[in-house]
Amino acid sequence: MAPKLTVSRLNKSFGDLAALRSIDLSVERGEFISVVGPSGCGKTTFLRIVAGLEHATSGEVSLDGRLVREPGTDRGFVFQNDSLLPWRTAFANAIIGREVAGKIGPADRERTMELLKLVGLEGFESYHPRQLSGGMRQRVNLARALAIDPEILLMDEPFAALDAQTREIMQAELLRIWERGQKTVLFVTHQIDEAVFLSDRVLVFARRPGRIQAEIKISLPRPRTLEIKRTPEFVAMVDRIWKMIEDDVRTAALYENA
Amino acid sequence: MSATGHGVETASAPVPVPAKASSHHVFSSLRSRYLAGTLSVVGGLLAWEIVSRFLISNALFLAAPSQIAVAIYNLAVSGELWHHMGISAVEFAFGYVIASVLGIALGVAMASSVTAKQALQPWVSGLYATPTIALAPLFILWLGIGIWSKVIVVISLVLFPVTINTEAGLRTTSERLIEMLRSFGATKRQIFYKISLPSALPFILTGLKLGIGRGLIGVVVAELFGSRAGLGRLISQSADAFNMPELFAGVVILAIAGIVMTAGFGWLEERLVPWTRD
Repeated sequence: MAPKLTVSRLNKSFGDLAALRSIDLSVERGEFISVVGPSGCGKTTFLRIVAGLEHATSGEVSLDGRLVREPGTDRGFVFQNDSLLPWRTAFANAIIGREVAGKIGPADRERTMELLKLVGLEGFESYHPRQLSGGMRQRVNLARALAIDPEILLMDEPFAALDAQTREIMQAELLRIWERGQKTVLFVTHQIDEAVFLSDRVLVFARRPGRIQAEIKISLPRPRTLEIKRTPEFVAMVDRIWKMIEDDVRTAALYENA
Repeated sequence: MSATGHGVETASAPVPVPAKASSHHVFSSLRSRYLAGTLSVVGGLLAWEIVSRFLISNALFLAAPSQIAVAIYNLAVSGELWHHMGISAVEFAFGYVIASVLGIALGVAMASSVTAKQALQPWVSGLYATPTIALAPLFILWLGIGIWSKVIVVISLVLFPVTINTEAGLRTTSERLIEMLRSFGATKRQIFYKISLPSALPFILTGLKLGIGRGLIGVVVAELFGSRAGLGRLISQSADAFNMPELFAGVVILAIAGIVMTAGFGWLEERLVPWTRD
């Protein structure tokens, strides 16, 4: 079967700074891929290029064989900050992608209601963002990306701003939703345990220039529950990845505090 | 897993409860909100009454609140008050509406085109800071003592705060929100109508609110320079006749108009831009 997403010889530089160098990647339909790495390794830039929000300096990205140049409704982006419109209700926020694509009919409304239910927001459709907790706002953010029925979900550290407990719950929720729809997911995070818990494969990025340092297959059985995080296999896997990026993280931390 | 067990994760999300106060609570909060203000106004009026009756008894210098109330009543009964109010209201309304439409359009132009911004900015900044009201005699010379000279003065005062606020509101639109809509492949037009305009709305309303006070000043001062009727005319002819109660009657009507319109805007803001409250 042809891969869902193909990235070949992708380079990106900002002036003299090489942000990404020679990224090659092939993602199968329904695969859950995470990208981890220290800050400044270009993982978010990589995701934004796939989204079409930024242009690569060279190399190409193709989705279902079509070259990606601009943003489009075949990709659903879940932002780190929820980016909800404060003047719209949860429902009106979730349906905005379909609104941009054209006229919305009863089927679109119904689907959006279904998705809000799927992400656990039944009964909160007419609430405004300021009335919702951080976790609930991220659920709307996810529903909004799912509402356009994208070929691939691009998630940029979506749980980074949440407290530890809410984050764990959201990880489990995301898996539950993913297992139902079997969407292809590209998930950027700096939490190694989050990447291991969610993914089929984890791409470990190195910095300066940003590149793929290692690709690790996660063969933990599915469906996974949060308990799996306490198994020795899981802990060993997290430890292994941490050792790969440890030096990079320390350097990054030094640079950022300087 | 049982059906009830499945809802555990969603139940763990904190459920916000919209604040629904009991009627008793609302009453006591109303009282604490308005009590000090009411007492202050009543006390002030009382002090004014006493001073003008017993300390400055010369009616050429001050009128007591009670005398002003009588003057307003008499002016209303004779129909003179409605005539003056009507003229001033028409002048204000024309000027204010034209300035609002024009100001929003200029603000949009300045926010969407760098060239427009560079071309208009010196004029807007310069004229906003200039007391253009000083040009009122000139406008009267050009357009006569009818309503249009007043309309122009009102426009010159209301236009710039509306333009400046519209432009600022559109310019400060969150990049994150724009990017969010862009990720769905939105056009520039969609970004403008779905993101920029609603997020600039609180700023635009602030500009329009600032315009109320400035517009009222414009009407009155322009009428003082030369007019046949209007509240400014009422004030100046009362001053010429040393009729203090009628002079104050004009001022009080203007104050009420300002307060009512500003309160109306507060009401509009609560309905149109409720997300800016917290």
